[in-house]
This record gives sequence, C-alpha cells and structure tokens, in this order.
Amino acid sequence: MNRFYRIPRQWLALMLCWTSLGVFAQEEVKLAPVTRTYAITNVNIIQGPGRKVDMGTVIIRNGIIQGVGKNLFIPAEAIVIKADSMYVYAGFIDGYSRAGVIKPKQETNRERPKDPGNPDPEQAGITPQNDVRTSLNPADKSVEDLRAVGFTTAQVVPYGGMLSGTGSIIQLGGETVNEMLLLPGTSFYSELTGAQRMYPATVIGVMSKYRELYRQASLAKSYESMYASNRSGLERPSNDKILEAFYPVIDKRIPVLFKADRYLDINRILILQKELGFNVVLGDVKDGADLTNKIKSANAKVFLSLDLPDEVKEDKEAKKDQSNAEKKALEKRKAEAIAQYTAQAGVFQKAGVVFGFSTASAKTKDIPANLRRMIAAGLTEDQALAALTTTPAQILGIADRVGTVDNGKIANLVISDKPYFNEKAKVRYVFVDGVLYKYEVKEEKKSDAKNAGGKKIDPNGKWSYTTETPQGNTSGTITIKSDGSGYAGTMTSSMSDRATELKSILLEGNVLSFSFGFDAGGGSMTIEVNLTIDGNDFEGTMSIGQYGSFPMKGSKDPNR
Amino acid sequence: MKKLIITLLFVAAVGLLYAQVERGNALIKGGTVLTITKGTLENTDVLVKDGKISQVGKGIAAPAGYKVIDATGMFVMPGIIDAHSHAGIDAINEATAPVTAEVFTGDAVNPFQIGLYRALAGGVTTIHAMHGSANAIGGESETLKLRYGVKDPELLKMEGAPRTIKFALGENPTRVHGSGNGIVPRTRMGVEFVIREAFSQGKEYMEKWDAYNKAKTQKGFRGAPPAYNKRLETMADILRGNIIIHCHSYRADEIYMLLNVCRDFGVKKLVFQHVNEGFKVAPELAEYGAMASVFSDWWAYKFEVYYSTAYNAAILVKNGVTTSINSDDGELMRHLYHEAAKTQKYGQLSDEEALALITINPAKQLGVDNRIGSIEVGKDADIAIFKNHPLSIYTVPMVTLVDGVVRFDREKDTDDQRIVVDPKQTIDVTLHTNTGHDHETCMQDAEYTFVRLFGFNQQEK
Repeated sequence: MNRFYRIPRQWLALMLCWTSLGVFAQEEVKLAPVTRTYAITNVNIIQGPGRKVDMGTVIIRNGIIQGVGKNLFIPAEAIVIKADSMYVYAGFIDGYSRAGVIKPKQETNRERPKDPGNPDPEQAGITPQNDVRTSLNPADKSVEDLRAVGFTTAQVVPYGGMLSGTGSIIQLGGETVNEMLLLPGTSFYSELTGAQRMYPATVIGVMSKYRELYRQASLAKSYESMYASNRSGLERPSNDKILEAFYPVIDKRIPVLFKADRYLDINRILILQKELGFNVVLGDVKDGADLTNKIKSANAKVFLSLDLPDEVKEDKEAKKDQSNAEKKALEKRKAEAIAQYTAQAGVFQKAGVVFGFSTASAKTKDIPANLRRMIAAGLTEDQALAALTTTPAQILGIADRVGTVDNGKIANLVISDKPYFNEKAKVRYVFVDGVLYKYEVKEEKKSDAKNAGGKKIDPNGKWSYTTETPQGNTSGTITIKSDGSGYAGTMTSSMSDRATELKSILLEGNVLSFSFGFDAGGGSMTIEVNLTIDGNDFEGTMSIGQYGSFPMKGSKDPNR
Repeated sequence: MKKLIITLLFVAAVGLLYAQVERGNALIKGGTVLTITKGTLENTDVLVKDGKISQVGKGIAAPAGYKVIDATGMFVMPGIIDAHSHAGIDAINEATAPVTAEVFTGDAVNPFQIGLYRALAGGVTTIHAMHGSANAIGGESETLKLRYGVKDPELLKMEGAPRTIKFALGENPTRVHGSGNGIVPRTRMGVEFVIREAFSQGKEYMEKWDAYNKAKTQKGFRGAPPAYNKRLETMADILRGNIIIHCHSYRADEIYMLLNVCRDFGVKKLVFQHVNEGFKVAPELAEYGAMASVFSDWWAYKFEVYYSTAYNAAILVKNGVTTSINSDDGELMRHLYHEAAKTQKYGQLSDEEALALITINPAKQLGVDNRIGSIEVGKDADIAIFKNHPLSIYTVPMVTLVDGVVRFDREKDTDDQRIVVDPKQTIDVTLHTNTGHDHETCMQDAEYTFVRLFGFNQQEK
C-alpha cells in the first residue's frame, strides 16, 4: 500500500491536462450582469447575534449593503428577491480551511534524499516563504460546497508540511484569485506534522526545528537592523527567505495559525508559544475543553473544529443483550467522550475564550447538523451565530467589512427558508460580494433512508474492487459483515498480502463509507472510502489524505 | 531582595495560571519499612506531609485530615525507578540523522498511556522516558513521575530533574544510518567518529559563542553572532557538564571506546544502558565513575547481545559500579522487583543490594538521588507497599503513592482505568494478544529502516 506515496510525474502531467481541459470546456462568453442592485424583501433580518428586524428589506448595490430595515425604497433597477418569511444572516466566516486551495503540484514524496538527516527544506515541508495566493483555484468545488452551507469568507492556508506558508482571507466567490482575495498574508501557518522519512520526521524533531528556526530568525533580524543602521565594517547579512518569513511573526504583525486539533498538540503548541512568545491562533480545535485556562493565559485565539465524532446510534438489539457488560461499559465511556467533544463549544463560551469555527477537517455536508449538536449541548443560537460571524471577523481583523448585516458592509449574506439552526432549514440564496447564488430545494425522496430504487441495500458479503491509483490499477476484495450495532470488515489489496481491518464502517441510505489506516514508515495515514451501492455493484472514491481522491468500483462476489 | 520578590511573584503567577502538582498528606502505619539507605525498620510508621516524607518512626499519630494507610504485615519501600523506559511519550526516535542531540522526548509526553498505570501497579513511581537508539547521539530524555490521572503532560515531568541524553553504540546506529542510508556510521569505528566529531563541533561552537557573548558586553560592540545551531548547543551543554549521557551499549570494546572518548573531552557524567558485556570492563567502569543500567537476564535478541550472563548485575555491583536493573519494556516494567530478585539467585546479592538496583541506584543514574530512591525524611513520598517481601516470588504490589498521593490502590483498581477515550474508537471486546516482547520500542519510529534489511522494501526500486 505504501506505493500510493509515489505519484509519478507522468501521472501528474496527465492530471494537470485534465484540469486545464476542464477550464477550457467551461469557457463561454460572459456577459456583464444587467444590474448589481438587489432588494431582498419581506425577510426576517438577523443583523447580528441578538439583533433582529422582522419582515424587512435588505438593499444591495455594487457588492455593498446599502439599506437594512423596514419600508425601504426599492430602486427601480433592483432585482427583487421575494424572500417571504425567510431569514437572512451575514455570511459565515471560516477561520481556517483549505477551500479553493490546490493540492501540491509537485510530488511530495520524491526520491528519498541521500542524507535524510539533511534534506532540502522544501522536501521537509519547510516553506514558510510560500503564499497561499499562488495555489488558489476559484473554480475549485470546495469553494462552491462551503458556500452552499452559508459560508462566504474563509481564511485559507497552503498545503504542505510543518511550515507550508502564509494564509490569506478570501471571499468564497469570484472568478479570479484577485477577485476572491479579501486580505493577503494574514497568518503564518504551522503544523506539528513531520516530514516523511526525513528530518524532522517526528513531533520532537518538528518542535526542535521550530525553535531553532525561530531563534535563527530572531538573530538574523536583529543583525539586519544593526547592519541597516550603519553598514560600515560589518559583514553583509545573509539572505534567507525561510528566516525572513518569520519576521512579521517576530514583530507580531501576524499571528501563527497552528493546526491544533488534538489535546496533546494544543499543549505542545502552547509550550512553543510560551518559549518563543508569538501571537497564536489555535486552528481546528477538537478536544480543548480541559485547556481553557491555559488557552486564556496564552491569550490564544481559537477556531473550534466543525467536525464532530459521529453520534452512536441506539442499537435496540444490543440494548436487550444484558450479557456483555464489558462492551456496554466501553460504549458508555465512548458516548461520554463524544458528548465531551460536542459540548466543547459551550465550555469555551462559558469560560470566556474568544472563538470562531474552522471547517478544515469537517465534512461540509455535516456542518449544519454539527452546529445543531453543539447548540443542543450548551451553546445558544446567538452564540453559535457570533462564532460564525462577528467573532471570527474580529479575530481576523475584518469586522469593519464583514460579519453583520449593516449598511456599508460587504454584501455577504446567507438566506435560509427557516431559521438557519432549524433542522429543516435549507439555504436558498447566498450572496458573496453582492453576487447571487441560488439553491433549488430538492424534493426529498421518502424511500431514501432504507431503500434505494426499491432494492434493499445489503453491504454484507465479499466484494471485488478495482481502483485507479497513481501507480496504476489496484484490485482486491472487501468483506463486510454485520456486527451487532454496525458492520465489521476487512480489505485485501494486490499491493499487500495482508488483510487490513476496516474502521468506522457506516451505511447511510445506499452509501457505504469506511476508512482504514496504513503505516507509511514516517507515520500512519488514514484512507477514506465512500461507495454508492446499486444492487450488486458499487462505485465511489477512495481519498488518500492530501494526495487526492481516486475512483473505485466493484461488484459483489456471487458466491457469498 | 527585589529580585527574589519578583521571582516569587512570578512563581505565584505561574502557579495560578497552570495546574500544580498535587501533593498529599498521609500516614502509612505499622509496615516493615525497607528504607534502602537506613536499614529495615519493623513495625514502623511513615508520615507524609505535603508530598514529602516528614517522619519515620514508631507510634506516629495521624494529624487531622491525613489519609491513613494500614500497612500492618506489609512491606513499605521507596517507589521503583526505571532508568530505561520508552513509556509516556508519543515519539521515541528521530531516526533521520546520526546525531539529533537537539530533540527532546519531553516535548512528546503523553500522560494518557495506560502502560503508565500498569507500571504504577508494579510499584514503579519514576521512569526515564528515553529517546531511542537509532542514532549515535539521540535526543534528550525526560524523567517522568507517574502521576497517572492528571491530564496536563507538564505535570508528569519531574520538576528539577537534571537533563539527560541518549547515545547509542553498535548495531542499531550502524544499521539505520550505515546499512539503511549508506552514510557514516556503517561500523563501530564510524560510531566513534560520529561522536568525536559531534563533540569537537560542540566544543568549537561553545568557544565561538563564549567569545561572542564576551565581546558583546564591550561598549559599542558591532558584529555578527555565530550561526545558531540547536544541535551543537546541546553538545556544548554536555561538555559543560549539564547533561548526563545514557548510552545504549552491549559490547565491552565499544563501552571502553566511549569511556576513552568521554575522557578525551572531559565528560564525566556517564551511564551505560544494557551493558551486557559490562562484567568484562567492570573495574574500568568503576574507576571512571561510570554507571551501568542492565537487564537481569535478557539477551540473544540480536548478534551483539549473545555474550551475556545473568551474573552481570552482581559482578558490576561487586566491582563498585553503581548499577540498576531496567525494563526498556512495558511488560518487564511491571515486575522490576522480580527482575531485581534474580540477582539473588545469580550472584547472591543481599536484599539491600538487590533492592538498591531498582531504587537508589537508578535515582543516582538520573541525578535525582537527593529527591527519591530511599525512605528518608525530606525525600519525596514516592512509596510502594507490597504484601510479602518485594523480592519474594509471592509478593503483590498493593498501593503506590507518588508525592504522597495514592496513584494505585489494588482495592480500588477498576476494569477501565483510561483517562481519555477516543470518541471514534471501534469497540472490540476481543482480547488483543501481543506476541512476544516489545523490547524493540527502542527502535520505534525507525521500523522502516528494518525493511530494507529483509529485502522487501517496495518503495525502492
């Protein structure tokens, strides 16, 4: 399975061809919009957390909100959106994501360097001089997807290793990178992620390297200012773009945005912060409820993850079974852990930690449901709205432009047919920079839950599959078996002679998803598979971390 | 005085912001106290105040609010210290370079590992959470107190314990870097060269910085600082005598080699780990003041470990080498008292000598013998209570205290002692069987270097 790591150049070239073909195919004559003036009428306006206007009007002109209130004059040129009894909010702000960011073009796992202890910084993931603006694609589907659930603004960061570059704040709309861009160079993005099989490979290596670079940058910076004040008789300072990238951080002009999902990582990041003294923003926090004091004393800003662990479904069969007390006790503790993750936002709110949200590791379609779970676990709707709008606007320093529905703000709006946090709410319109995106409400299929196309979905059995990976086709078998409350299974591959155990097997409607891990020397990776079952066939994708998704299809072995 | 006040204020402020180590008050009544350094005291009480042993004697009354532990008929000994462990940390080997002196296992402390609780259940209270042996000079290691139950990793670190660093000789570094990557060291000569080179560079580095720092104090100084290098910074600190070397080693020739290297560079603080052939160079070790931390009877798991004897510990002790018995393994760690007892079968060590191998001697090797390793007034109340003598095959660890706080109590041991639970875990009640010893945790994070050795590395074509 380790072969997935080597993505040959030819294949990449091919991939790039597809991309450019795709762009070419979409090219058509663009007409300027007839008008850039809109009036959203008869709408419940939630201007900000706790500020509501019933049945009012919002006027937008040239991408800016020009009127909010009742009995407003509607300009003749305005396109009127009769949002009768709908709800309009300021567009949501994502504090940390990779929406619209192109995955790295270069092979990340090239030949292992001759001396793995001293690799090229780029190979080792040390590229703080990079800028996410060079890897943005406005047409990327992730932008569209995130917008469809109500997000209009996001702080995005480059892909890469421990220091992948600086992030920018973008609007989730626009045709070009410049059109998308709200504010460049807003954060110095960092992870505790090691390089693969080269220095620094482990978290201890990464932390040590981080300290060394920071210290070197501080020394270089002060020597540069000494040199600038009087150059006579002094050696010329060396130019090092990696160290120079640290200067705005040392000056506290920009914060370090650290990927900080796990409890222990947050602790480690706060150790670095305490030693080095930079301003820190903790990104994608999932398990920080016990750390609110430490986070407050570090004056850290936080973007909580919109990813939550799956809820455990009640299994009536297992409930009746009184025999397995051990399993029950374990399940109880697991449920408590899930509850703790879900309650995190409420705990942060009570502790008075300033937080927004991040979508970095969340499945976009789960975001509204996860917000509802957080609300059920202690966050109020207004607090959730603040964390989606006003608070991230403040953290990111863009509160003068976005975050509320007020005159003069950028026309970033989300309109839902019911209050957004209502389970049945559907997003109907989104404005980004005054550009309208409409969403049709699909009829819900009643038969969707258990049956698809009248056929009962049964994942049990042995399936043969093939995938198209960068290394050519792989084939093997997947065996799925009902296991009390859920499913268990294994998978074999022509790349490996061992069966791999599948994790988190889930059947939702006719979609079967699962993941499996494999050890890739430097660290373990999780591969996620999503398959749509149609009778005895399936089709879907296999996602390998940042290397992308690859098609996978197969059929049920008739013998089983 | 002003400075002192500021320091005190600072300490107070830090104390407010960060959780503090919990320290208990307790009275352990009526046990047979094996003090290790002051003999065996029958029917004796040990009073613990604020995490420290405050009184050892007969008929001590428990002050109000003290936890009273009845140890009548039981044995009370200092908590066991494991001078070689890889438990409690998430990363063990930064195996990518022959010298990685700059890394530090203390950055990767994981207080949630269930193995820490299991060690407590074997009377262990302090472990040396070491960097692995993939490199000639590995990283700095952390001394952890097993305050299992706390969530903050910082609270496991033994405050004030001296810095230690891992070195490794022989097959591990030559296999990883020589055979694996085709760079120096490929041989034992290469290992010596790598260590000498690192020390020489560290010396140069230290001199450059000392000169620069001195020049900087001159008025109107202008000039560039030497290049900062964290690796050499650590090497310089070893030369300054601020870090104790703990060196993975097996063969007598390589042990003697490192003695000579350290002598040449004036490095005195030196502990050898494993040291299976230590019995051949015991007088030399004693003369240098180098210490030894050994297995009781474990060998032949690779070529360089064939020439071994269970008398190793006894021979070292009788030659005056400060010797300890370690585990390097999650399973062995749980019965170090048995491991120590083996020296009575192989070498007739006295009870006191045998128990010293897992208490005061490893404390000396970690530079913390002023704090732990024996039951003495003023020392940390890290105490293990056993039913039956700890060197008896029938012994059972009953209660383990760290800083006077009960961290293990056999009576209150429940099925699920985990501190945190993975909310995405698959619940599987089938027992997982672990085949064989995990003694190669020494090489964790460096496993891929084995692959080529056995010729089925798919990645290299």
